[in-house]
Order: sequence, then structure tokens, then C-alpha cells
Amino acid sequence: MTTPAVEEYLAVAFRLQEEGAAVTVAALAQRLSLSHASVSLMVKRLVQEGLFERREGELRLTAEGEQRGADVVRRHRLAERFLFDVLGLAWDDVHDEAGRWEHVLSPAVEERLDGVIGRPDSCPHGHPIPGRGAALPVDLHALSSLEAGERAVVVQVRREETALLRYLASLGLLPGARVLVEQVAPFGGPLLVRLGSARYALGRDMAAQILVRKAAR
Amino acid sequence: MPWYDQPAAGAGRLRRRQRLRGRHDGPVIALAGNPNVGKSTIFNRLTGLHVTTAHYPGTTVEVAVGTARLDGRTVTVVDLPGSYGLGTASEDQLTARRALLEARPDVVIVILDASNLARNLYLALELLDLGLPVVVALNLLDEAGRAGVQTSVKRLSESLGVPVIPTVAHRGLGVRALLAAALRQAEAPRSRSGPPPNYGAELEAWISGSVATLEATKHEWAPEGVSARGLALLLLERDEEVRALARQWAAGEEALQRVEAMAEELGRLLAQPPALVIAGARHGLAAAIAARCQRREPLGLRLRDRLWRYATASATGIPIALAVLAGLLAFLYYVGGFLSTQFDRLWGATASPVLDAVTRFLLPGQAADILLWGIDAGINASLAIGIPYVLTFYFLLAVLEDTGYLNAVAFLSDSLMRRLGLQGRALVPLISGAGCTVPAVIGTRILSSRRERFIASTLMVLTPCSARTAVIMGSAARFIGIAPAAAILGIATLLVVATGFALNRLLPGRPGGLIMEVFPPRRPPLRTILVKTWFRFKDFVFRATPIVVVGSMIMGLLYETDAIWHLTKPLSPLVEGWLGLPAVAGLALVFGVLRKELALQFLVALALVEYGGNVDNLRLFMDPRQIFVFALVTTIYFPCLATAAVLGRELGWRSAAAIMALSIGLAVLVGGAANQALLRL
Repeated sequence: MTTPAVEEYLAVAFRLQEEGAAVTVAALAQRLSLSHASVSLMVKRLVQEGLFERREGELRLTAEGEQRGADVVRRHRLAERFLFDVLGLAWDDVHDEAGRWEHVLSPAVEERLDGVIGRPDSCPHGHPIPGRGAALPVDLHALSSLEAGERAVVVQVRREETALLRYLASLGLLPGARVLVEQVAPFGGPLLVRLGSARYALGRDMAAQILVRKAAR
Repeated sequence: MPWYDQPAAGAGRLRRRQRLRGRHDGPVIALAGNPNVGKSTIFNRLTGLHVTTAHYPGTTVEVAVGTARLDGRTVTVVDLPGSYGLGTASEDQLTARRALLEARPDVVIVILDASNLARNLYLALELLDLGLPVVVALNLLDEAGRAGVQTSVKRLSESLGVPVIPTVAHRGLGVRALLAAALRQAEAPRSRSGPPPNYGAELEAWISGSVATLEATKHEWAPEGVSARGLALLLLERDEEVRALARQWAAGEEALQRVEAMAEELGRLLAQPPALVIAGARHGLAAAIAARCQRREPLGLRLRDRLWRYATASATGIPIALAVLAGLLAFLYYVGGFLSTQFDRLWGATASPVLDAVTRFLLPGQAADILLWGIDAGINASLAIGIPYVLTFYFLLAVLEDTGYLNAVAFLSDSLMRRLGLQGRALVPLISGAGCTVPAVIGTRILSSRRERFIASTLMVLTPCSARTAVIMGSAARFIGIAPAAAILGIATLLVVATGFALNRLLPGRPGGLIMEVFPPRRPPLRTILVKTWFRFKDFVFRATPIVVVGSMIMGLLYETDAIWHLTKPLSPLVEGWLGLPAVAGLALVFGVLRKELALQFLVALALVEYGGNVDNLRLFMDPRQIFVFALVTTIYFPCLATAAVLGRELGWRSAAAIMALSIGLAVLVGGAANQALLRL
């Protein structure tokens, strides 16, 4: 039996892997709002239980861990869809609400729910529902993966926090914005991104949340 | 807690409004604008006050209020923090918005950077959406011209439906015309303020639908002077603050539910949160207006662009940054040292003998001695130690700030700063902490989380401020050489790094992501730099000198009456035993709590009284080891009273106490360890 706490870890790790970000104790601690110490204890336990593994010094989900993480995330995104489409909850409220549902839906209820909402491919925020074979379109890249001198068009901002979305929006970093990566700072430092006449320094993890389509140089 | 963080209770709000509005009944003008568009420069020009400006974002986080006069009339001017919008996503935006609503300005001057018009227009449109009377100041026209951008003021005014005044604020051009236009707009009836922005038929239909819903409740829907349209937009954007406010009004809940249902419908139709739809529409309109009003001549890569590239590329940027830092320290050492010697010589040759003769003529023996401690030794010490280094540092800081070089450093250092639990934009306040800890701690408001503010404030307390650098320069560098002084700065830097690293590990959470606008280098007018240096310096001198003089006199009283030795006894095991310092140095350290350079100035004053002659006498009662340990302990331990007060105010007393205890503990530990190590050598 997996406890809700373990499910949270698996889901967060699954999302990190989905985003192409490294699964680190620090990243887990931040997303879960827990201290490094308690996360690192729990990770040790999960490694013993065969849900996480360390390969070449990097933390990853094992096949079983990934499967279970995908189950939690699927329940979460289906619940979001249901709350949004059927119950008519607000766009930015469904994420928190679904955070409770993801732990309590039984497979039978999940199946019925899926049927009621018409077996959608994505959650209301546009994230793919795991197990549907609909991953990110291949030509999308995280802004952080671009090199100096590359141009791109913003397609989507991945983070579900509305405050960040709105802050980026006030700067003009919205879907459709055309950007040029001017510099990439060394040692995992920020990117210098040109947008219109303005330049912004964007931290690497911030830039990882911005999905872009590459444009001609 | 800053005032704008407190829950807005009715009575408190009214009081703050009165404070923001001033005591007279003249009109109130609010200044709004993006960061670094010359807003504070215009404020200073209008009011004759001197709010500090700098060529990077986040200088003004507090709301400044001043008065301007035009044709015998008094006007209150409220300077809002620079922000990109009026949302709730960040503290600068929230502060700007709350101050704007509380001051209830009769007119808002929105200052636009002509060289980046499209992005700047976003804020102007947001203000027009709120239904506030607006006048546009089109600033930095000279810079835009040099970048090959020509702007039609007439077209911009027609597009926005409000007056547009071209200005070049740092030369004062257009500022009077701006004030006159603002006053005319403030007095015009509201109906004349032009139509609101038009975001196209589809979105406008949703907006007018929400407006109709709000108006149907027949409530007074104009809190703080916001139009029904402005309110409808904020509710469609699901603005938390306005939603909470709306619930408190009669029939608010019902109207709120209807508008929110519309917002959801809108979000569903366009498959995007309504806030993004509206933001997208605003940026679209802003870009269209900018394109209509501006013409660009393509220019080649200019020198400044090339310089900027060198400063930010990692291969060249890091060596440049290290060279600049080394140059900075050398400049501080040589120029500060030169000024120090000159001041000291001048004082010894002229003022000192005169003061001595006059005082001894007027007062009996011991009273004259005590007074001379203050007005002769105190002022001499302040001239010879505090002032030269502080003056030099402020000059350097102004140069770094106004050229925009600090932007490049923040960009390059972000990955290092993240390991200390901070982000690149924390570097600017951290470096300004090398000037004075107090404004640096206030500057941490630009950081996004409490965790970062706590870490940054702790590191600032451990960063030698100019007063502490003055102690290092005036004692270690002067009497035992530049290498030990550099060693002390090295130890302090190491402590800052180690503490940041440890706090980042120990405190739960992670540094937030960096999002910072960076500005290209700019050649600042020398006058601006000198004026800025002067005003920061004047502020420092007028606050510091009286404390130094009074502090010195209290020390003189203790010394002349021999009371001093009673006070040193309890400190003796720590000071004499563990740190190996002369007993009286313990007292000097205690007095350093008033202001850090007092610690050394007291020691110097002691030497002057004890042995007469010039300041070289520090060596007469301290050996090099003691001077080193003294300077080291002074650099690390407990910040001055002003810092303690601002820490308590900004972070709460528990965090402040923790930071202060940490700094005292570290100072005793590191100072003692240095003493023991040097004794063994």
C-alpha cells in the first residue's frame, strides 16, 4: 500500500522527469515545500523500497516508481479535467483541489470518471495525461535548452502557478512572444533573453518552464 | 512589517491616505513607470528632494512623498516603486498598486522609456483601464534617438487619448511642462480623460458584459477612484485582492459570482486563463501603438553593445569582473588612504591647535579635556578614518550603479549566488551592503521569498560595510600593511560564502528563479554621479558625526574620571584572555555598536589623548597581532544599532536576534581562533 506521502514524492519526481529536469533532493524539497533533511531521509527509504534508484550519481524513478508516479499524475489530471469541465470550478483552483483527489480515487472510479469526461488527452492546463501516448509535441523545447544566438517563439508556460504566469505576462513573456537567446551564463547560470527592446536574465530553472518552438536564425 | 503589508483597516487606510496626500488640499500627483525609466529623476526634479536613483531595477521599493510648486500652488507628488504592471505577483507591483489606490491621486503621470516603448505602454494601458486620469511623460528621448528610434509625440497622444509630454529628465528638459500638463489634467472633468483602451470586439464584449453585471447591482462601484471597467477587468483577471474587497461590499458576493462565471467561460473558450488573455491583449495593443508612433533606423552594432557582450560572455566577463573588483579595492586603498593622510595633516596643522587653545582658555582643566575628546579628537578621527573611505566608496558605487555594470555582474554571478541560497539579483543589494548595511537590508524587498530575505540580510550583516572597511583600512592597512587588510577582507568574504552555503543547506526550500531585466551600459553624466555621491555622503556625515562627537565625549568622561577601567573588568576574560586585546579595546568594541567606525575612532582618540601627536600612535599600545584581531572582530561582530533596528523592522525581532547572535558568535570564534593561531606563529 502506498501512502499519500509516498505518492506525492512519486508524482513530483514523475513531473520533474516529464519536464526533462533533474530529480534532485533540492528539487523535490522545493516542490514539496519540505526541508532537505526530511526529503533526503525519505528518498533513502524509497531507494530501499525499489521506487527510486541512483544511477551514475543521478536520482531517477525505477520502472515501478515511474509506473506508480504516472498513475498518481493521471488521477490528478483526470480529476482536474472533471472539476473544470463538469463541476465548472475555476481554472486556477482545480490544481489544488485535484491534489486531494489524486490519493483517493479507486481504479473503478477512475475508469468511470474517465468515461464521463470523454477520455481527454490533456488536463485543463494542457499537460498530457500519462498512459495516453500523447507526450509533448516533438518540436517543442524548453527555453533553457537553447544556445546563445538561437531564436524561438514561446508556446506555453509549464508552471501551474498563476502568480508566476502573470508576472511573466506583465513582462510580455506570453505565448506567441518572439525571443532571442543572447548569452548563456556559465556553470548552469541564467540565460540572457531578448524580447523586443528589452533584455531579461532568466534563471535556468525558470527558463525550463517556458516551452518554445525554435525559429530561423 | 512595512505599512503596506498590514491589513487595510478603515481608519488606518484613511490615516495613510492623509499621510500620502500631505496636509494641504492641493492636488496629488502619482508617478508611475517601469523600473529604470528615470522616474526618481523626475521626482527629484519636481520636488527638489533627493531620492537615490540607479541604473538597475529595484532602487525605489519604498513610496516617496514630496511637494512641488508651480505658479504659487502646492502639489503633493507620490513616487511609486518602479513596476512592470499593477498585479499581485510581486512586491514592487503590489506596493505600487496599493499606494496608487490609497493616495487617490488626482492625476497619474506615467513615465515611459522611449527606447522600449512597447513594453512600457503595458503599464500605461493598465492605468487607463483603471479609469485614472493619466498624463504621459515620454522620457529618455535622447537615448532612443541615439539608438535610431524616432517617436511621434502627437501620434502617441492621439493613440492613447491623453496628453504626452516629451522629457529628458536628467537634464531637466520638459519637467515643468509636464507638471503644468498634469495640473491641467487633474482639474479637467473626468469625462474629458478620453476613451479607455480598446482590445478588439471580442474581448470588449466580455468586458462590457462584466461592467453591466456590476452596474446592475446598483452599488457604488468606484472604490479608490477605480472605474467600473477597471474593476470588471480586475475581477475577470481573478485578482485575489479585488475579489476579497468585492466580497465585503453589499451585493458584492452575488456580482462577484456572476463575473467569475463569465471569466471561466472566457477561459474555457480561449483555452487560456483570462488573466493571460487580457495580458496578451494589452501587449498586443501596446505593440500596435508603438509601431504606429515609432520609426526605427537600423544602426550597426554600437560600441556599448559590444562592451556589454564582453562583460556578459563568460570567457571575458569573469576576468573583467575580477579585475574590476581588484581595481575597486586598490582605488579604495590608495585614494582613501591619500585623503585620510591629507585630512589628518590639515586638521593637525590648523583646527586642532586653535580648538585646543580656545577650549583651555574658556574651561577649567578636566572639563576642557573631556570637551576636547569630542570636538578635537572625535572630529579628527572622523575626518581621518570614516569620511575618506566612505566618500571614496560612495563614489565608486555610484559609478558602478550608473554605468549599469552591476547588471552584468548579477547575470554572471547568478549560479554562484544560487549556491548561497540567493539569486543574481540579490547581488546588487549585497554589494550595496559594502556601502552601508541599512539601505542594503531595505533593498532585500526586491527578493521574492522570506527565505531569501533572511539569508541576504544575514550575509549583508557579515559583509564589511564602508564603516567597517574604514576600520580595516585605518588600522590594519595603515599600521601593519595591505596584506593583513586583504586577509581580513578575505576572511570576511569566506565567512559570507560559508554562511550562505550553510543557510541554504539548513533552511527548508530553495532560492526562487531569477527573472530580472538587464539594462545595456550607459555613460552616466559625471554631474549625476557626483551629486549622488554627495547626497549619500552628506546623509552619512550628518547622521554619523554627532554620534561620533557625543560618543567620544562620553568615552572621554569615562576615561578622564577613570570610570572606564570598571567597565572593562567584566569583559576582561573575553577581551584580554581569549582575543588577546588590551582591556580598553573591549570598551571600544562595545562603543562600536553606536557606529562601527567608532570602535577604531575611540582607540585612535585614546592614543591621541594618551600620547599626543599624530594618529600613528595606534602602534604604541597595540602590536600587529592585536591590531589584526581588533580589525577582524570589529568587521564581523554585531552590526551597529541602526542595522539592528532595520533588521527588526524588516524581518521581525526573532530573525533579527538570530542574525545578531550569529554575528557575535562568529566574531568571537573567528577572532579568538586568529589570536591563538597568530600567537603560535
